[in-house]
Amino acid sequence: MSAPLLEVRDLIVRFGGITALDHVSIDVAPGEIVGLLGPNGAGKTTLFNVISGFQKPDEGRITLRGRDIQHLLPYERVAAGLSRTFQHVRLFANLTVRENLLVAQHRHLSSGSLSAMLRLRAWRRDEEEALARAERMLDLIDLRAWEAAYPQALSYGTTRFLELASVLSLNPKVLLLDEPASGIQQKEVEALGPMLRRIRDDTGCSIVLIEHDMSLLLSLSDRVYALDFGRVIAEGSPAEITQDPQVLSSYLGRTRRAHASA
Amino acid sequence: MTEHAVEVAQPLELPAVVRRRLTSAELAGLAGLGAIALLPIPFGSFGFFVGQYALIYAILGLSVVVVTGYAGLVSLMTYSFAGIGAMVTGVAMASWGWPFWLALPLAAAATIPVSIIVGVTAVRLKGLYLAIATLTFADALGETFFKYGRVTGGQSGWIVHRPSPFRSDASYYVLLLAVAMALVWMVTGLRSSRVGRAMLAVRTNEREAQALGINVYKTKLTAFLISGVLGGIGGAFLALLLTSVTRSAFQSPLVEATSILLVTVVVVGGIDRALGAFLGAVALVVQQQVFQGARFFFAYFGIYSAALLVLFLLYRPGGLMQVARLQWRLIRARPRVGIAAAAAIIGLNVGLAWLFVRLS
Repeated sequence: MSAPLLEVRDLIVRFGGITALDHVSIDVAPGEIVGLLGPNGAGKTTLFNVISGFQKPDEGRITLRGRDIQHLLPYERVAAGLSRTFQHVRLFANLTVRENLLVAQHRHLSSGSLSAMLRLRAWRRDEEEALARAERMLDLIDLRAWEAAYPQALSYGTTRFLELASVLSLNPKVLLLDEPASGIQQKEVEALGPMLRRIRDDTGCSIVLIEHDMSLLLSLSDRVYALDFGRVIAEGSPAEITQDPQVLSSYLGRTRRAHASA
Repeated sequence: MTEHAVEVAQPLELPAVVRRRLTSAELAGLAGLGAIALLPIPFGSFGFFVGQYALIYAILGLSVVVVTGYAGLVSLMTYSFAGIGAMVTGVAMASWGWPFWLALPLAAAATIPVSIIVGVTAVRLKGLYLAIATLTFADALGETFFKYGRVTGGQSGWIVHRPSPFRSDASYYVLLLAVAMALVWMVTGLRSSRVGRAMLAVRTNEREAQALGINVYKTKLTAFLISGVLGGIGGAFLALLLTSVTRSAFQSPLVEATSILLVTVVVVGGIDRALGAFLGAVALVVQQQVFQGARFFFAYFGIYSAALLVLFLLYRPGGLMQVARLQWRLIRARPRVGIAAAAAIIGLNVGLAWLFVRLS
């Protein structure tokens, strides 16, 4: 493994008496797809919240490309190259599909409010660039026909792809995806795998993936971390992880039972 | 592997969408605005006075559009910003002998320190708590700034005169129309820009906005600053309209009541559209001013505007802008029904107005 792009060391997060993250350390190499595996409440989303700056850790260190990003606010981490999606997509309900993608171009633009109000050249240049970028994303997710629609007119799966296009607009170095396949149709799940791999190949970004769809997670990941009760209980290739006795007892067995009862 | 292969592979192809022709709906809208702008003419000097009032409220409404409509921050101190603008204009013109065109930028700039103080507080508060905080700020300004004799000219206030060539009612109306339309154009432009979209994003989903690289604090502060400056500009023109600026108008509870009325104006017009401020101001201020003489109407104006606020929030959250859009769609789809419906709405309002005048 080459030098890690994202390095998370000994994170500790406590909520009252509960330790949500207990000395969690993970590494993500450039261009690597890393899967996070674990039952509900294992701390996966909390880990994402801490890495993306939405949750302050009690202890620990996070570096991106060797730079300490601990003190950065979420939007500053985006500028540093760290983007994330959320478990429940909400997007901007009062903005059209196209406007949603225009919002995502924010960090590529620089014009201020005055130049917009006076329609100065800086504003015009920004708008043209934002539109060009947004339209390229519209084509990428094949949503041209829906650009003037509002998100609630789209299927949940389509909003997932729209959200993905939004975060891709940020040109991330590391992309944190929180259950991208949850709540979407099987056909869309099947399209998601190749799409994520293509995103990695085309942009060279690393992807950290939380996913309950085991076949998707295992087929996509180069490496997998298994979490339980806020601790990393195993780390390795998908093949190694599925053989790990601790993982089998804490996660795979439990899911099978949960699925059977569901 | 190049870092952003997608980007390198496809050079930016710039669409010329920023400059485009007006659609037929926009042309119809412009024609409608033109007709509204001509309304005061048959009513002479009173018509122009009401028109001037409505236009001032439209300008102040734009202040609400930016802070509440775009950024989602409920501010109930817009009229305090107007008061700062009016008082500074009064001091500069009456006490220092400045010309209006120098006093105007000073009036706008004078709001900035207050916006910063409020804005820094505002970014930490949400919804109702923010609304209450702005009310408190309005009250505090009434007890400090608007009690300070050297700024407010004491009990008697300041007498200011309109600069030539805007001394006549008609010419001042035309000036205000030009200023209001220019500001509507500016605030419209803000909506489709980096900063404006950031405001809309923050209003809907702060968390998602942050995840897309938007600085939420800076965006909210910018909204307050622009809102304050627009309020200050409105206040400067308000001073010229009133000719006598006295501090009592900007003290509790009148100042809060007026700020709340401004929110109503903008909700009725269409809260997240610049033109909505104009439509709302026309709809509400014209009624308020025309029927001031009608005893019972004036007494119930508060109830009436509150009812309008609730009805619009429930049934037409997009305000008159939404009504106009729906009406236009109906006219396009079924011309006869659409035109009949439009005529009925206009007729009903004119009829009600006539009834009020007769009854008073």
